[in-house]
Amino acid sequence: MNRRTGAALQQVLGTVGMVLIALILGGVLVLLSENSPGEAYAAILRGAFGSPQKITELFVKLIPILLLAFGVSIAYKAQLWNIGAGGQFIMGSIVTAAVAIYVPLPIPLRIVLSFVCAVAAGSLWAGLAGVLKNRFNANEVITTLMLTYIADYFLMYLVNGPMQDPESDLSQSALIPDEMRLVRLIGNYRLHSGIFILIIVIILMIFFWRTTVGYRIDLIGQGEKVATYAGVNVKRTVLQTLMISGAFAGLAGWIETCGIQYRILTGIAADYGNIATIIALLGSLNVYGIIAAACFFSILLCGGASMQRMTEVPYSVVNVIQGLIIILVIARTAFSEKLGTIFKSKAPVNAAGKEGK
Amino acid sequence: MLSNIFTLSFLVSLLAGTIRLATPILLPALGQLYTQRAGILNLGVEGTMLMGAISAFSIACASGSLWLGLLGGILGGMLFSCIMAWLSVTMRANQVIAGIGMNILASGLAAYIYRLIFGIRALPAKITSFQALQFPVLTDLPIVGTIFFSHNVLVYVTFALVPITWFILEKTTFGLKIKAVGEHPRAADSKGISVGGIRYAAVIIGGAYAGAGGAFMTIAYLNTFTENVISGFGYIAVSVVVFSRFQPLRAMFGALLFGCASALQLRLQAQGVAIPSQLLLMLPYIMTILALIAASKKAEFPSAYAQPYSRMER
Repeated sequence: MNRRTGAALQQVLGTVGMVLIALILGGVLVLLSENSPGEAYAAILRGAFGSPQKITELFVKLIPILLLAFGVSIAYKAQLWNIGAGGQFIMGSIVTAAVAIYVPLPIPLRIVLSFVCAVAAGSLWAGLAGVLKNRFNANEVITTLMLTYIADYFLMYLVNGPMQDPESDLSQSALIPDEMRLVRLIGNYRLHSGIFILIIVIILMIFFWRTTVGYRIDLIGQGEKVATYAGVNVKRTVLQTLMISGAFAGLAGWIETCGIQYRILTGIAADYGNIATIIALLGSLNVYGIIAAACFFSILLCGGASMQRMTEVPYSVVNVIQGLIIILVIARTAFSEKLGTIFKSKAPVNAAGKEGK
Repeated sequence: MLSNIFTLSFLVSLLAGTIRLATPILLPALGQLYTQRAGILNLGVEGTMLMGAISAFSIACASGSLWLGLLGGILGGMLFSCIMAWLSVTMRANQVIAGIGMNILASGLAAYIYRLIFGIRALPAKITSFQALQFPVLTDLPIVGTIFFSHNVLVYVTFALVPITWFILEKTTFGLKIKAVGEHPRAADSKGISVGGIRYAAVIIGGAYAGAGGAFMTIAYLNTFTENVISGFGYIAVSVVVFSRFQPLRAMFGALLFGCASALQLRLQAQGVAIPSQLLLMLPYIMTILALIAASKKAEFPSAYAQPYSRMER
């Protein structure tokens, strides 16, 4: 086994170990609530894999969370902490519904227009944080989060005001036309053709880090100095990175609106911003790692929801497990980096050279 | 129509509301002055406040004492911020993601604790919160009485902490050490100051303030706990600290600005203004972005801001 696969294996095992610790600690919490951890986890697994329909639901959930995680991972690679994927997702959804419901174009054109506008909306909402960072040195963690609150209230305003469904009192918009909805693949299950878009995005992501743009983003993440020496226009790349990152969220909003909800309503973004962050970090910002982490989270989220229905264990256990996972992963990353520096400072250069045969 | 809104009584209640609503921003912001001056960017304030809010509320409910609740909130904030201190000082993790992680953990943990203690119920659990103090003569003064002398005890304590924080940071050895550690940890280390120790202390003090800020929300402003009781206040407090250029007095004005935005939003809604409430609710968040823009040119960060320190590295 060469050194690289060895290191990768170690990384994977370490991450799996952290997830297991988080699950064990989650089990302790379940015990504290006077329930059986075994039953809780069994309920999660049954809820995720119990029937063919439940398995298709895993993919339904996977589409938005994987897209959002890819999006934020691109920004995180450049050390740009976009935690507002939820807000960018909302903006994409709003624009999709607005175009679908109000623009009197032929359906095919409307589909194309809504797609382009949704991606642009997510992209611009994240780009705004990029402009604020470049022009005013405003911390993007704070601005992307504030923009998420603003998007959230904007959505609430729309579905209670100008875009409210004229035929109902609920906080939701009218339905989008039937012809614009993504086709369901298996009978009446919710799994829809948006999964093919996800597959295309996965393929694009595999090659993304080998493109010039990807390379430049990677350089930015290694520090402004490194990037400047390499001749990269830092500010332009910061803006581009955040805009690409937001585009994924806008796309996810389009798919969710056309594939699942068929309208916009309050709470569509759920906890997606946080979940995207955890998945991206759990997957070490690596494409395959993120896919694996997103699959795990899809099981946890779908299974957790049915666990809450079937047992006495509250869903917030799932939230705590999420939080524990992210803290443990951060600690572990820092720990291995720390180990790295200790070894570096102790081992003479030539010894390190010999070791790497 | 405008003349109907901007009456004297409207202004008076707006100003009183400004002071009251500045409190839950000012408390965590003052705490963050210690933390950030020591070079630690703790974005986990939001989560720390939430843990303070739930600890204070559950302990106040269980013991029947608001003061014990407050103490619980402070201790809850201190305990939770230990995780941040461990991650950022001992593990030397990236402080930005450590903070984000803390907030995610807190939102799950707080919801879980609430569910564990209070179960599922049709109506949320309620307590009688800290009541407004009655000052002889002063409270009954027209205008001034309502604006300045109609608040609960925590509001006054918070504003009293402004000069105290200034004094500790500027005039005591401990304050000097905090600043030394934030500006030049290596030099501080060579003078025999424990960089890690001071940073732990600074983060935990920040946690105490943030916990108290969270407690204010549940046991002195509202009288109940909801999962979104903090809703961005922690992040707003961090922005106020940046906006204040790390000065307590300026932090107070920053917090008052946000208090004003929140109070204005509430008062306008109460008056039934034609602006939809959802758009008014955006106000504090828009203000935060504007504050960061305003702070951009002048912000002077400690030199070792957000940098982990290690003796072994050059």
